[in-house]
Amino acid sequence: MRYFILCFLPFIAIFLESTFFRAYSLFGTVPDLVLIFVVFYSFLHGDNKGAVYGFLCGLLEDLYMGRFIGVNALSKGITGFIIGRLQVRFFNENVLVGLLVVLIGTVLNSVLMLVLGWSSFSVFNIDASIISAAIFQSLYNLLLAVPIYVLYYNSFQKGLLNVTGEK
Amino acid sequence: MRKFIKNKYLWLVLIVFIGTLWLINNTSSERNNITLLEKMLRDAYTPLQSGVVEFKENLGSVNAFFASKQQMQQQIDSLEAENQQLIMANQILREDKMELRRLRSLLGFQDISLDKYQMVGARVIARSPNNWYRNMVIDKGSDSGIKKGMAVISPQGLVGRVASVSRDSAHVDLIIHREIAVGAIIQENRETQGIVEGLGNNNSLRMVNIPYYSTIKAGNNIVTSGLSESYPKGLDIGRVKEVELQPDGILLSALVEPSVDFDKLEEVLVIVNYKPELLLNDEVNTDEEIGG
Repeated sequence: MRYFILCFLPFIAIFLESTFFRAYSLFGTVPDLVLIFVVFYSFLHGDNKGAVYGFLCGLLEDLYMGRFIGVNALSKGITGFIIGRLQVRFFNENVLVGLLVVLIGTVLNSVLMLVLGWSSFSVFNIDASIISAAIFQSLYNLLLAVPIYVLYYNSFQKGLLNVTGEK
Repeated sequence: MRKFIKNKYLWLVLIVFIGTLWLINNTSSERNNITLLEKMLRDAYTPLQSGVVEFKENLGSVNAFFASKQQMQQQIDSLEAENQQLIMANQILREDKMELRRLRSLLGFQDISLDKYQMVGARVIARSPNNWYRNMVIDKGSDSGIKKGMAVISPQGLVGRVASVSRDSAHVDLIIHREIAVGAIIQENRETQGIVEGLGNNNSLRMVNIPYYSTIKAGNNIVTSGLSESYPKGLDIGRVKEVELQPDGILLSALVEPSVDFDKLEEVLVIVNYKPELLLNDEVNTDEEIGG
């Protein structure tokens, strides 16, 4: 059941981003729900698992988009790994810590996307619209991070996402 | 160092990393076909995304049911007034169209009006899930005869081009996407040619390669020139907002406001039988050669 939910979350996140959140975008930008799930998973499970989960979630997003397959996989994989390294340095009970890791994760992922995009193809010209999209996305992610972190953390502690026992 | 070389996980990570970079590179240019896995994934999303559109439509009809009678009457009145105006405009245009047809046949010109094209109507069921791409998903795919490269339009003007197709859906790259370039001319003087490019945001395009002696000015309408493989001639693209001299001093560029409101787009039409003029001319030449 736990694995099914872990697979289901990015699937449903892409669906929501392409429909619901497009209708309620913040200055034309949508939040990166897939990244939020990757960040929380990595923060609670550590670097190696975080990297694998991030890579697979990013790959799913890439396969849906059908172009530049691997950009999201690599950027989310690396983000998952780095956020996973933070696990031992922070107490993960606090919602503010959840907010902080989402902020770090979003900035990191945006920078990685820009570097990968800029170095492998010329579509991602770094201009004002890309920078502003990254800023608005960070804000939107932060806004959603609070309720999602509470639900995710509770589920991780004693719900369906609990590692030790199936509920 | 030996420990480093013997670490098999490190080698695995390195292989995956290089393999992914190779995959990015291989899928960075336009692809002719998407893989079976991608088609299956998209077909899994299509019923969910269509369901959202249907739910919204049903919600709209429930709202209409509860709307006040006075509001409905006001709406009907304004629509009736608009309808009368459109009937008048239509009468005038029909006369002009017949005259245009006669003159064209007298001069031996090709008919470029849109009504000769076969179009398939489709609903917009989803948009790009991230901020890097500007595309949308429509609920018609290869089963309805949609193919990669077909032009997508709306009553307001040019929307984009079909980028990839699965059985029940198609991804459409919008003209505001950075990768899309459309051959364009100014509707008023028909002289100035240029290329309209997407800037990656929803409310502006840029027309480039305009000669410095062009009479282009703010307020001019920009339409497709027909000099491209995907788009028929005469489709509305947008209106010029401002013109500026490019740094080289030889060419001008113009900021263009798109005719289509991409955020509110709900239905589109896909032109399924367009053949570019260049190809048509080639076919005529080949026929003549065979005949001769």
